[in-house]
Amino acid sequence: MSAVELSSLQRPNDRLRRRRAVNRGMEMLAWLAAAFAVFFLGFVVWSVAQRGGSQLSFDFLTKSQVQFAPPNVKQGLANAFAGSLVVVGLATAMALPFGILIAIYVNEFAPRRIRNAIGLTLDVLAGVPAIVIGFFVYGLIVVSHGQSAYAGSFALAVIMLPFVYRSTVEVLALVPNSLREAGLGVGAPRWRTTLGIVLPQTIGGVLTGTTLAVARVAGETAPLLFTDSLAQRGMHWNPSQALQSVPVAVFELSDSFDPNDHARAWAAALVLILFILFASLSARWLATRSKRKIMRAGR
Amino acid sequence: MSSLDATTSAARRPFPGRRARFGDLVLQGTAGIASLGALVLVGLIVWKIVAGSEPSRRAFGLPFIWHVVWNPVHGREAYGAGSFLFGTAVTSIGALLLATPIALGIALFLSELAPGWIRGPVTALVETLAAIPSVVIGLWGVLVLAPILRDHVDPALHSALGFVPLFGPASYGTNVFTAIVVLTIMILPIIASISRELFLSVPSELKEGALGLGTTRWEMVRGVVFPYAGGGVAAAMTLGFGRAVGEAIAVAMVIGDGLGIHVNLFDTGQTLGGKIALNYQGAGSALATSSLIYLALILLVFSILVNLLAQFIVRRAARRKGLA
Amino acid sequence: MPRNGKLVRISLAAAAVAAAAVVAVLTAGTASARTTAASVNGAGSTFVAPLVAKWESPVQQQLGISLNYNPIGSGGGVNAIATKQVDFGASDAPLSQFNPTCTSCVQIPWALAATGVIYNMVGFQHLNMTGQVLAQIYEGKITNWNDSAIKKLNKNQNLPNRKITVVHRSDSSGTSYNFTDYLSHVSPSWKSAAGTGTSVQWPTGEGEKGSGAVAGAVRTTPGAIGYVDVYYAVHNKLGLFKMKNRSGRFVQPRAKGILAAAALDTHPKKDGSLSIVNPPKSKKFRNAYPICTYTYVDVQKSSGGNAASIKKVLGWAITKGQSLGPALIFEPLPKAVVTFDKKQINKIHS
Repeated sequence: MSAVELSSLQRPNDRLRRRRAVNRGMEMLAWLAAAFAVFFLGFVVWSVAQRGGSQLSFDFLTKSQVQFAPPNVKQGLANAFAGSLVVVGLATAMALPFGILIAIYVNEFAPRRIRNAIGLTLDVLAGVPAIVIGFFVYGLIVVSHGQSAYAGSFALAVIMLPFVYRSTVEVLALVPNSLREAGLGVGAPRWRTTLGIVLPQTIGGVLTGTTLAVARVAGETAPLLFTDSLAQRGMHWNPSQALQSVPVAVFELSDSFDPNDHARAWAAALVLILFILFASLSARWLATRSKRKIMRAGR
Repeated sequence: MSSLDATTSAARRPFPGRRARFGDLVLQGTAGIASLGALVLVGLIVWKIVAGSEPSRRAFGLPFIWHVVWNPVHGREAYGAGSFLFGTAVTSIGALLLATPIALGIALFLSELAPGWIRGPVTALVETLAAIPSVVIGLWGVLVLAPILRDHVDPALHSALGFVPLFGPASYGTNVFTAIVVLTIMILPIIASISRELFLSVPSELKEGALGLGTTRWEMVRGVVFPYAGGGVAAAMTLGFGRAVGEAIAVAMVIGDGLGIHVNLFDTGQTLGGKIALNYQGAGSALATSSLIYLALILLVFSILVNLLAQFIVRRAARRKGLA
Repeated sequence: MPRNGKLVRISLAAAAVAAAAVVAVLTAGTASARTTAASVNGAGSTFVAPLVAKWESPVQQQLGISLNYNPIGSGGGVNAIATKQVDFGASDAPLSQFNPTCTSCVQIPWALAATGVIYNMVGFQHLNMTGQVLAQIYEGKITNWNDSAIKKLNKNQNLPNRKITVVHRSDSSGTSYNFTDYLSHVSPSWKSAAGTGTSVQWPTGEGEKGSGAVAGAVRTTPGAIGYVDVYYAVHNKLGLFKMKNRSGRFVQPRAKGILAAAALDTHPKKDGSLSIVNPPKSKKFRNAYPICTYTYVDVQKSSGGNAASIKKVLGWAITKGQSLGPALIFEPLPKAVVTFDKKQINKIHS
C-alpha cells in the first residue's frame, strides 16, 4: 500500500454523511454475519450437547452395541470406543516417527530443491479427500487381505502424516542455529546434535501437531468405510480384524429407524466433540508453552 | 486443508566440513528414506487409483466424465460421472457463495469491530466448528436441519421465489439444498478463521494511516484491508471450495442420492464423494467398483489442481506484497 | 537443556504410556482372538437381519457358538463372502445377480418373507395398491396421492392432495431386487426402462442406505412411499399397502399370503435359487402376496477350520431357527426346501 493510494481514499466533505451511512450499513452487515454464524454454529453444538448429554451414562461407556435389541436391554458404544482407541493409536504410531523423520531430513539435511518438492508433495497429500485415501487403501490392502483395523489405521496414518510433518518442520525451523553450533562446537557429531539437542527443543511443537492430528482423524469416517467397517459385534481389541469405531458407529446409527439408535448416535457425537475440544485445548496450551521454551533457549 | 505457511525460512546446513560419521550417515539415511517414502506414498495413491479405474476407463473412456447415467442392472451396465459432477459443482459453488460473504463478515467483525469480551468466545466457537467431524455435522444435518428445511424453509422459498427454476416444488427432506447448507456450515469456519488471521496481519500503521486521513472504517477496510489480504482470502476460498468438493460423508447423509441433472435445488442429487461413500458395502459388480474408482480419480485430480492453485495464489500474493 | 527437562519428561512419560497401551492392546487382541474361536461371523442383507439377530442368543445357548451378523446390505454380503472376509454372506437376491459372484460358494435358501410396500399417510390404514400403479409412482408418472389411479383403487377413502415422496434403497440390496423384479413382472415399461436388479437407475426419489433408513425416512416424511421387509413396517407401525395379486385380490403381506406364494416354487434350481414373485392366477394362489422372496445364505464350500461351526449354525437355522420366524413375519421354509438345504449344507467342508 503506497501513500498515493491512501490519499485517494480522502473524499470531499459534502459526501461525508453518505459515507458514514455506508460505513454504518457495512458494520451492521458484519455484525449480522457474525450473529448469523454464531447462531448456526451454536445451534449445532447445542443440538449435540442437548441430545447427547442426556444419553451419556456409565452403561453407554462400558457396554457394547446390541442389534435389534428391545429398549430395555442396556447397551452402549464401548466396542466403538475400544476400536477407535486401537485404530487411532496405531495410526499415530505409524505417522509420528515417519513424519518426524521427514521433517528432520527436510530441515536438517535436504537441499533446497528437494525440500520444496517434499513440502509440496505433502501439501498435495493433505488436500487429497479422505474418501480417496480410503479407496486407495481399499485397493492396496483390503482387496487382497480383507478389512482390518490395521488397514483402517494405515488410512488414518496417511491423513495424519502431513499434519505431523508440518508441525514438526515448523518448530525445527524455529530452533536457533546457535544451539546447533553449540552442539557441534563441543565436538558432538551431527546426529547427536540433531537427536539430542535440536529435536528435544521441538517436542512441544511435535506434541501439539500430533494432538491436532489425532483430534482430526479421531472423527474421520470416510477412510474407515472401505477399510475398517465390517466389524463384528461385541468387544474386540484384535487389530487384525475389522473393529467398530466411533465415527462409523455414528454414521450407521444415523441410518437407523429406531429413535434409541439416534440417541446413541448423538451421545457418541458428543463424546467425539468433547474429545476433540479437549485435544485442541491441550494442543494450544502445549503450543504456547513450547514456543516460549524455544525462544528462551535461543537467548 | 493445506498450509499457507508450510515453508518457513531458517538457515540450514551452517556446519561445513564435518567428518562424516557413521551415526550421521544412519540418521541422514533413515530420514532420507522416510522422505522418499512420502513421495512414493503419493505416487502409490495416484497409481492405485489410476490402475483401479482402468476397466472403467477402457469401457467408457473420457465420455464417462459427462455421461449422466449410473445403471448397475445386470446386462445393461453403464456408468458416467455427469450427474455427480453436476451435483458436486452445484453444492460446492452454492456453499462457497453462501459461506464467503458471511465468513468475511465474521472475520471483519472479529478483527475490527467486536468488543474485546466477545472476540475470545466467538473466535473459539468458530475454531471449534472447524474441528467438528463431518459425520457429526451430517448427523445434525439429517436429524435436525433436514426436517426444519423440509417443513418450513423449502416451502417458504418455493412460494416466495418459485418463479426461479432453482426453487421448484419441495417434498424431500434430504435434497441438494440441505447439502448446500451443510457444506456452508463446514467451510464457513475455515474461510472465516484464515481471513481473520489475514485481517489481523494487516500492519496497523496502514490502517491507522487510512483512518488518520479521515476515511470511515468501511473505506479503510475496502481500501487497505481487502487489497492487503485479498490474495490470502482467495486462497482461503479455494481451500474451502476444495474441502466442499472433497467432502463425502456429510453430503452422503443429507443429499438423498438422486440421479440426473435437476435445476430444482429441492430435488435429490448426488456428488462424487457422496456416491463413493454410499457404495462402500459393495457395488454389486466389478465394473461398478471400477467406475467408483474412476469417480475417485476425478476427485483426486481435482483436489491436486485446487491445491496447486491455492499455493500459486499464496505465492503470487506474497511476491506482490514483497514488491509493494 | 535443563529448562526443557520437564517437558521432555512429560513427553517421555506420555510416549511410554502410549507404547504400553499399544502393547496391551496387541496382547489383549491376540488373547481375545483365541477365546472367540467358536464364533460364526456373517454379513449382508438388512432384510433378514431382524431374524438373524433373534437367532443370536439361542445359538449361543444351544450350540455354544457366538453368531455375529453385520447387516450391511445384500451386495455387501456377497462381496464379503466372495472375498472371504466373513464365514457367511446373506442376500435376498440369488448369487447369479452379482458380478463378480461367488463361484466357490453354496447358496442356501434359509428364510422366507415378504417385501412390504410402506407409506406415511396418517389415518389411512391398509390402502389398496396394484403393481402397475406402483410402477408408475416409482417412474415419477404419478406424483400425488389424489391421483385418479390411486383413488380408483381406494373408492371409499378420501385421499388428500399431497405430494408422494418416493423412497428407495441407495445401496446394492436384495430387497430392491425383489421389489424391481416384481415391478418388471407387472409393468412392461418398468422392465424396459429401469429393469430388475439389486440396484437400478431409479427414475425418481430419495435413496436411503439400508432397510432401517428407508423405514426411518418414510416414517418421518408425510406422503412418503418405500419398500422394506415387513418386519420393519410392522415394528414402525407404518402404513402397509394391500397388494393386488393376479387372482384379483388385495392381500396383506402376512403369514397366509406369504405361505401361499411360497408354494409356487419349493424345488430350488441347481444353484439353489427359487422365485416366487407374482404367482399366476389360480385357486391355489388366490391368497398369495405378490412380492415374496426366499432369502439366501452364501457360504464358501471350503470354509477352513470354521466349517463345522458354520454347518452347525446353518443346520440349526433351517430347522429350529425357523420357529422364531413367525413373530417377525418370517414364515417357516417348506419341507422340500429344508431337505434341499441339508444337502447343500453337506457340501461345506473345511
